[in-house]
Amino acid sequence: MRTQHEIEVWGTVVFIDVTSDIDIEPAITTVKQYVQKVDELFSTYKESSIISQLRRGEIEIEHCPPEVIEVWDLCAFVKELTEGAFDPWAVAGGFDPSGLVKGWAADNCAEILLAAGAEHIQVNAAGDLALRGGFTPEQPWSIGVVNPDNRLEILQTFEISDGAIATSGTFERGAHINDPHTGMIAIGAKSATVIGPIGAIADALATALMVAGRDGAVWFTTPELSEYSAWVIDRHEKVAWSIGPATA
Amino acid sequence: MKRFLLIAAGTVGGLGAVLSVTPPQLGATDLGLGLDMGTLTTAETPAQTPTVVQNTPATSAPTQSATNPSTNNPTASTQTSAPVPAQTQATTPTANSINGTFTGPVVDVSYGNVQVQITVTNGKITDAQALIAPTGKNDKYTKMSLPTLRQQTLAAQSTSIQGVSGASYTTYGWRKSLQGAMVKAGL
Repeated sequence: MRTQHEIEVWGTVVFIDVTSDIDIEPAITTVKQYVQKVDELFSTYKESSIISQLRRGEIEIEHCPPEVIEVWDLCAFVKELTEGAFDPWAVAGGFDPSGLVKGWAADNCAEILLAAGAEHIQVNAAGDLALRGGFTPEQPWSIGVVNPDNRLEILQTFEISDGAIATSGTFERGAHINDPHTGMIAIGAKSATVIGPIGAIADALATALMVAGRDGAVWFTTPELSEYSAWVIDRHEKVAWSIGPATA
Repeated sequence: MKRFLLIAAGTVGGLGAVLSVTPPQLGATDLGLGLDMGTLTTAETPAQTPTVVQNTPATSAPTQSATNPSTNNPTASTQTSAPVPAQTQATTPTANSINGTFTGPVVDVSYGNVQVQITVTNGKITDAQALIAPTGKNDKYTKMSLPTLRQQTLAAQSTSIQGVSGASYTTYGWRKSLQGAMVKAGL
């Protein structure tokens, strides 16, 4: 049976579309508890969150829960890959992994549902999607990317059976990405979409492309990112560029 | 953890490098024509997950799973609770006899409210309008998005897209209110 669920969390909505032969409600409950836990760990808006304690210097990273250490390491990995275009340590107020956590958490939600026996899974964390098992056994998930000038017009679609797709843009929730090198609003792209196997990395790369623009194309030629693809709309020209296996 | 990550990425990446020897290419696409994105080719399926194939752009933009799978094909069950308008003829009622306008709930989308009204003709949504839409600093977006949402709702009855990357509050409010209107309609 195919069911759809919405969870209000992280100041946005997580949408879940799942098909399963078994009763999926217990797993949905687990996912709801999980996203609340993620909020308790990573919300920069909650003074009590682990991330807020970390930012205030009240706790060292070595003493944080394993989830926070995992995210910290993932951030370091992407920072290195993007030559600092993604740099959660350069954010005013201290380490802020918000550009990676939604994609990371969406992946983990999908894994919870998969482990519970669901067959076809879409977890959409406000534009960062984790997909498992295709829409049907024969048909991949078909995911549209919206026009940054008209958020609900679909400009491009990608078919994904298993993996992640993340879009970053100035159009969603205001201009929320700053260039870590300058502290200014990122101007490298108007909208950046990344498709790849790991949601956290796709999410962070989409954020980094907003900063670096076309200079970021070279990241996708590295062995580490050979499975990742980018589809990016330039900031000032009405032109999109793309790179990677999904856009070949 | 970090070391494991780097090793894993290195291993996978090494394999990818063997599989892919094409030099980096920037494919430029003109956005001037909106949906007409120029020539798009279908990529070969990569040897590893994720299985990703580029598609041609959708000619219509449906709402993200705004409808349940069963919506397109309402079963002809004789649910007396369904708000089917009073039958003025002695014909046998079917699911396709649903006609009228149905109003969804007001949904708070953080910067305002959204309320959707649908018009149903013979069991199909033939129109969707916002009775209430957010105003304020996001008004610009709302004005742009509402006509598109309306199109999406109409298109969703024969849709091919299951998800959207880069969705927004307004989409959520629209879908939520739309669902309420559809339940009222018995769709």
